[in-house]
Amino acid sequence: METRPRKILSIDLTKKEYEVKSFEDLNSYIGGVGLGFKLMEMYYDKNPLIFAVGPLNGLFPFASKTAVVINNDGVIEDIYLGGSISLRIRYAGLDAIVIHGVSREKAILDITNAGVSFKDPSEDPETLGLPGKRSVIKVDGSKILLGGYFTTPEHYLEKEFTDKNISGIVVTGTELINIRDFDKYEDLYKKILNRKDELSVLEGTYPSCSNCPMGCGKSKTGEMGGNVLLHSLVACQYADRIYTDVGVVFSCLNVLGYNYTHEDIESLPKLIEQTLRRIS
Amino acid sequence: MPKILKISFPEKCVGCEMCAIEAQRQLRKIGLDGALIRVFRNTNSKLGNIEYALEIDPRISSLNVDKIQKICPKGVFEVEETD
Repeated sequence: METRPRKILSIDLTKKEYEVKSFEDLNSYIGGVGLGFKLMEMYYDKNPLIFAVGPLNGLFPFASKTAVVINNDGVIEDIYLGGSISLRIRYAGLDAIVIHGVSREKAILDITNAGVSFKDPSEDPETLGLPGKRSVIKVDGSKILLGGYFTTPEHYLEKEFTDKNISGIVVTGTELINIRDFDKYEDLYKKILNRKDELSVLEGTYPSCSNCPMGCGKSKTGEMGGNVLLHSLVACQYADRIYTDVGVVFSCLNVLGYNYTHEDIESLPKLIEQTLRRIS
Repeated sequence: MPKILKISFPEKCVGCEMCAIEAQRQLRKIGLDGALIRVFRNTNSKLGNIEYALEIDPRISSLNVDKIQKICPKGVFEVEETD
């Protein structure tokens, strides 16, 4: 089992405070939905809105989703948001953002790496953060859109933003990730990118998720449910032929310096199921 | 002969950032800090239209621009040879 601490940005809307916590004991949850469910258990009483990325985000193609975990009136939902935000969270050096409490006045959360500014809603979120390195989630008419386009199934984000009195979230990431064996990493990146034809979605000319060349029409509304390994990594469901191949997954994790065993990967679905059962 | 990476068809850009990430990889960087290509959403585009704008740092010419052109899935770039 690898022992890389998970870095969580916890934002308390009620107190307008934030802190970065490093957890040594969350390795078995890998990331994405696994990490998101565990954080939901840990912060359950605070009714959190959780954005969790996985070990492949920002590093490998077709791994561009962010797991969003919410408590929908007692039902824990996991939904997957496309666009650029998974890269921004990863490049902010974070594994997850946990937003809890309720803001007294409407607020925009301007997150840069591990820092948060609580901004007045009169500010235009598009002017916050750093251009070319930010993702903007904001109210657009009756919808909450990421990058003016991407949304989540069932309007779950709209409900969360309303309940928590949030009018926008801007995430900027300016950190760099070190990889020990860069040549091996690059070789693997190219091999996976060359498997583009194995994706079960057609290439298109729609706005694309970052680090995915497909421009498909499916990413707009995100994903819901599905394979827990994919969604812990957090890869796109249409790349399942690639990222449910345990050999590929191990190669990716290994080149990034993770030391998971087959047992760790095999026990993940059960671990997630048990966690979900405890909080449902 | 030096080569120049030109943004010839910005209207084709789908915002995937493959070009920016490739350029960073050539610099052996993972992340967008100091990126030589930046991709922005054009917030001035017509209602309902999502368009992207790109900016290239001239230092890009020190990289393998053919690889950057090739990784773009939509053919946004052209490579020009200069004297």
